[in-house]
Amino acid sequence: MRICADGGANRIFDEMSQMTNDLDRNRYIPEIVEGDMDSIRPEVKRFYSSQGSKISDKSHNQETTDLHKCISSIRHRTPDHEKANLCVLVTGALGGRFDHEAANINVLYVFSDMRIVLLSDDCLIQLLPKTHHHEIYIESSVEGPHCGIFPIGAPSTSTTTTGLKWNLSDAEMRFGSMISTSNIVDSDKVTVQSDADLLWTISLRNLT
Amino acid sequence: PAASADAYAVVVLNQRLPRFAPLLWDRAQVRVCADGGANRVFDGMPELLPGHARDDVRSRYKPDVIKGDMDSVRPEVKEYYSNLGTKIADQSHDQDTTDLHKCVAFITDNSPGSDKSNLCILVLGALGGRFDHEMGNINVLHLFPNIKIVLLSDDCLIFLLPRTHTHSIHIERSVEGPHCGLIPVGTPSTSTTTTGLRWNLGKCFTWSISCGVIQQQLMFQCIFSSDNTHMSFGGLISTSNIVDEDQVMVTSDSDLIWTISLRH
Repeated sequence: MRICADGGANRIFDEMSQMTNDLDRNRYIPEIVEGDMDSIRPEVKRFYSSQGSKISDKSHNQETTDLHKCISSIRHRTPDHEKANLCVLVTGALGGRFDHEAANINVLYVFSDMRIVLLSDDCLIQLLPKTHHHEIYIESSVEGPHCGIFPIGAPSTSTTTTGLKWNLSDAEMRFGSMISTSNIVDSDKVTVQSDADLLWTISLRNLT
Repeated sequence: PAASADAYAVVVLNQRLPRFAPLLWDRAQVRVCADGGANRVFDGMPELLPGHARDDVRSRYKPDVIKGDMDSVRPEVKEYYSNLGTKIADQSHDQDTTDLHKCVAFITDNSPGSDKSNLCILVLGALGGRFDHEMGNINVLHLFPNIKIVLLSDDCLIFLLPRTHTHSIHIERSVEGPHCGLIPVGTPSTSTTTTGLRWNLGKCFTWSISCGVIQQQLMFQCIFSSDNTHMSFGGLISTSNIVDEDQVMVTSDSDLIWTISLRH
């Protein structure tokens, strides 16, 4: 399933063919365009609508961000038995306006029972809810070596990791004190256990 | 001599310079490049000032200090600025603190007087890029809560509002706004109050009167108290807010990050 959040449709329309040298826009049609529609260009909306994309206009709902609306929509369209296997990859959530970035990170917390990965050219981030012991498999052909773990929502009094160059052992982490940045993955598998929800980040290798 | 209230230091980190970098650099009291930030000034300033000869731009926009662990600055860039008199402060032996932390410590150690509350440090290249770098840079704001450190990008700026004070933020509307936000990074806030925003935080009361007819006429008077003072990740955070006045006031029981967009 491919969903464009509002102006995300402009980005697909303008940039996909530049990146693939493929002038055929018909190959990159989102199933759904969702959001408050204040950024999507009218001709882009018309094009995708004519190609069969469902245009889901949620402009009446100003309470939630476009990403929030998209996640809700995906969740709604996923049968219960498939929810546990579902993973949502998001591009364009990081960088840009800081309040947008914070709101997008908040969506990870609000939908903490879903696997949502925010991606940029440089890195990815995921939430590690405190309710679980996490095993993170590192795809070292594309991920790493730089990584980090952050207690953005609330401090951690006890976090333990394996598989990192500088592992944490029952360590306290808090903004204003110690957080794990510029760490290095030292193994194909990293484990994390904590008493606080943590954000995990790992760098992406430059594949060009 | 006392530093003027408008005096500030500029720190350049290792990311593309924002378009207003030359303007900020011109009026700074001290200019520090953190390691690869020197590459960015070397390459980027001439690009931002295409009408001028490269060497003229480079000698005019010469850092006072290049500081950090020196694993990113290109040897020829380091040599170029060293020949122009830039101090090279190699701290490759210290791997425990980030480059920004080292620069802030350097600026505070070298600023006159014991009162650091007038010190203002503007940082370019701290947001975007690798997320762990961005988090490390935000943590520097928390580690130095008594110093005004502003992280800037092409799109916005952020700084810390420590919980110890009520903050009165002056909005320079010609360059800032209208989009803004308040984000409780690191700890939830149980009580935040603001004025000057389109959607202010704080307790508010609404009155509602409804009439119901069953057997007799009944009047119900209801008082709703809505409390939107709590902020946390997983709950409410203030994003896509709008500055409605020239002065925004914020009081909170926890440290908040203030962010405002920059006009193009």
